Amino acid sequence: MNNKIKSMENNITKEKSFFLGFLKNGLHITPAGLLGLIILLVLPNFPPFNQEYMIRWLVMGTFIAAGAIAFDFTGGYIGIVNFGFHAFVGLGGYTSGILAHKIGLSPWLGLFAGGIFAGSVGFVLGVLTLRLRGIYAAVVAWFVGLALMGLATKLVWLTRGPLGLRVDRLFDSPSNKPYYYLIFLIMMIVYLITRKVVNSKIGLAFKAIGQNMEAAKTSGINPFFYRVSNFTISCTIAGFLGGFYAHYYGILTPELLHTTKTVEVLAVAYLAGRASLWGGIAVGIPFVFFTELMRSSLTELPGLNLVFYGLMLVWVMIYYPGGFAMFYDNMTAKIKNVNLRRFFRG
Amino acid sequence: MLIKKILAKSTSAAGIVVIISIIAALYSTYDKGLYLAINTVVMGGMLALMALGLALVFGVMNVAMFAHGEFFMIGSLSAFYIFPPIHEYLVENPNAFLSMIAPLIAIFGALLIGMIVGVIVEKLVFSPLRKRSTDNWVMNSFLLTVGLSVILVNGHQLLFGTEAKTIVRYWSGRPLNIYDVYIARDRIITLFLSMAAVVLFWLFIKYTRTGRSIRAVSQDEKGALIVGINLTGIQMLTMSLSCGLAAFAGACLLFLYPSYPTVGIEPLYLAWFVVILAGLGNIMGAVVCAFIVSLLKVVTEAYVGSGWEYIVPSALIMLMLVFKPSGIFGSDVRGVHEQ
Repeated sequence: MNNKIKSMENNITKEKSFFLGFLKNGLHITPAGLLGLIILLVLPNFPPFNQEYMIRWLVMGTFIAAGAIAFDFTGGYIGIVNFGFHAFVGLGGYTSGILAHKIGLSPWLGLFAGGIFAGSVGFVLGVLTLRLRGIYAAVVAWFVGLALMGLATKLVWLTRGPLGLRVDRLFDSPSNKPYYYLIFLIMMIVYLITRKVVNSKIGLAFKAIGQNMEAAKTSGINPFFYRVSNFTISCTIAGFLGGFYAHYYGILTPELLHTTKTVEVLAVAYLAGRASLWGGIAVGIPFVFFTELMRSSLTELPGLNLVFYGLMLVWVMIYYPGGFAMFYDNMTAKIKNVNLRRFFRG
Repeated sequence: MLIKKILAKSTSAAGIVVIISIIAALYSTYDKGLYLAINTVVMGGMLALMALGLALVFGVMNVAMFAHGEFFMIGSLSAFYIFPPIHEYLVENPNAFLSMIAPLIAIFGALLIGMIVGVIVEKLVFSPLRKRSTDNWVMNSFLLTVGLSVILVNGHQLLFGTEAKTIVRYWSGRPLNIYDVYIARDRIITLFLSMAAVVLFWLFIKYTRTGRSIRAVSQDEKGALIVGINLTGIQMLTMSLSCGLAAFAGACLLFLYPSYPTVGIEPLYLAWFVVILAGLGNIMGAVVCAFIVSLLKVVTEAYVGSGWEYIVPSALIMLMLVFKPSGIFGSDVRGVHEQ
């Protein structure tokens, strides 16, 4: 009798730990993270968030969060700031848009085409610049971004320039909800892929390179190879996201490739905390939502939200370089209750 | 002897590039007219000032400045608020001497404001970061300047609005006539101003005690500390000088670049072209390369069309990085080779 109860208890705890284990090792999220994600999933069904413009903000926030994860993947792990990040987003968007426009490729395939093309351009750029110091890579990526923006503006026969290229949307319905769920799914996939890579042996090499290049070299890691592969993965994700952008807004302008857009992603990635990946989700969505709210309610003070943005970035960079992820870690480490701590820290 | 020296120099990468660009400049001037050469030189002089500041800050403090265009913007903004009141006063009380020096007051006022802003930035932004940690300094300081740039651009928008703030001209009077080409006085005078600034700066760096200390810090920070150079003071002076030069350039070019929040982007990226081309941190190479980049821009605009000046120089820079990653003049600044 006693044994039976014990074995039942064992089963229960096993099941519980199986679920928790899957959460931790399969999906790499904490229970608190799961709760947050569920809240985000059901959010567009409840007022006041069920209005179309609010869902639009959520889509934008999720889009930037996904970008921030990909950005953090290079910026946080190998210490290369991809300052032309949004140029790759734009490249993917334009590839997908032009393919759909000229030869009628399905937008769903276009997403992948955009990702592959942006990834190959990123590969070439990485091969050229990643032999050099990090700052060169950042600046040259920026130049490439400017050049691509110039091309998008000037090649009017292909991109229709500043007039904007009209692109088919992914779904027929005018509602933003399906797009929200799609970008949410994309964001989760991006998170999982980057997390799996980071937790693998390759990720160990990334961390080694990011912390001390000389030491990494001495232990037999070829920094060039790992840097280029990391950069390529990040650019591929950027291009894929660009495809989503194109087929969500339905119009592409060269503005998409602008440096200010990159700065937006960069700010979210560093506010979230470098080398955290999940921070992009936790910070990106609320942050974009909040700044959009600020912008739409303070129309007589244009730019205030961005001044706030910049101040936050400078403050975090100087005084709290770990960003939100470090803050969260420090806060939850103090919790005494075991279950509660497990809830927050997985 | 001299010929031998020149020959030896001209077969190096830098020499070849310089010779090619001189030939290109002569040919395009012959082909399209003198205005092309004038535009190149005026642009180049200002670019030299911007790039000098950028190279200086990178050489001495290892900061890859992204907010340099915003100091340009601050310069043009201050000149815009200093010059018109004097101009109005002059309309009521004509005074030949004052009307000659009024623009100079505006330009040097902008220089002063730029220098003050530089000191403030060093005190509020870089010095706290240096105190906290210098790990991964190049990237962290670069990100800080990105944040700074966002603050300054949007602060301008918040306080002064987005409209273009400009003046018609600094110096009134008929344009000068050189071989049937009419050139506005502003262009000529600002060209001389920028040249004078570059020469003065060069003399300062080369021959004064402070200039020597600046060079010493850029070569070896620890060594400079050991021989008793006041590091904090030199860093502050460098920052202030570099911001001042950018503001000076902005004030001089107010008639070409009206002051609006994002005006700094173009001078910024051109200045970055220059320093990458010259080799990061190479201060004097930057002056030569400023004219090359300016020529590249003007020639691209004249032959390919406006809008392409983003594309052609980028492509050339990529090509150059493949063959000569350290820039055509090379660089021996300590920060460049680490990592």
